[in-house]
Amino acid sequence: MPATNPSLASPEPRLTLKGQLEDLARVWPWVQALTARYSVPADTQFAIQLCLEEALSNIVRHGYGGQPDQSITVECAPAAAELVFTVEDNAPPFDPFAAVPPAAPTTIQELEPGGQGIRLMQKFASRHDYQQLPGGNRLTLTFAIPPLAIP
Amino acid sequence: MQMSSEEMPGGITRVALDGRMDIAGAAAVDMKMNLIAGTAKKLLIDLQKVEFLGSMGLRSIVIPARAVNSRGGKVVLFAPNEMVESVLKTAGIDTLIPVCHDLDAAIAVLG
Repeated sequence: MPATNPSLASPEPRLTLKGQLEDLARVWPWVQALTARYSVPADTQFAIQLCLEEALSNIVRHGYGGQPDQSITVECAPAAAELVFTVEDNAPPFDPFAAVPPAAPTTIQELEPGGQGIRLMQKFASRHDYQQLPGGNRLTLTFAIPPLAIP
Repeated sequence: MQMSSEEMPGGITRVALDGRMDIAGAAAVDMKMNLIAGTAKKLLIDLQKVEFLGSMGLRSIVIPARAVNSRGGKVVLFAPNEMVESVLKTAGIDTLIPVCHDLDAAIAVLG
């Protein structure tokens, strides 16, 4: 079932976040509002939130390394049958999809907490792309959705 | 994010999570989860009411599971919904921590 929340019916297409984990709590209400507007199924809402949380928390924890004065922008653009989320930061260049994925653990003790995030984005986003910017990074995450009835 | 725990027959500690295991949800339960994992020998993590599981939420499961395992204990994950189970599988966790949808099976895994 798509999310419905009339109070969030007209979300801004762009969200600016501070470089701190606490501010990422603003992402879910924003995603709820967007996905309600475009009648996105619950499973796809889940996938969007999963991938954005991973991408954004990586930037905050590793890219900015605890510099809360830095910002991140997330923009959502609807296309014919997909939602395209673009995440931009001012962190040092880092292509998450070029990193060598960690070897699959064979015991619980080898499980690295938080070491599976890239794999999650690769699985749950329909497409992903990385672009290095002058002084930053752009990550594009695309999710297939039912053909749009764009309001 | 809500969390409750109960002692079951057979020395099993059942921890029930309820809500979204996102960044805020994980932060809300981390300390309590780790406290329980510090003493539990047989830990059943009940995921029936978990609506969302992100990578920070995975940490909140993996760290206590490692703690219990390192003391020779056992952990089982119980009744995740389809998307939550998909996250567990993608992360490769289901091959290391058993996932059960039947309570009797989960109890049997914990021995």
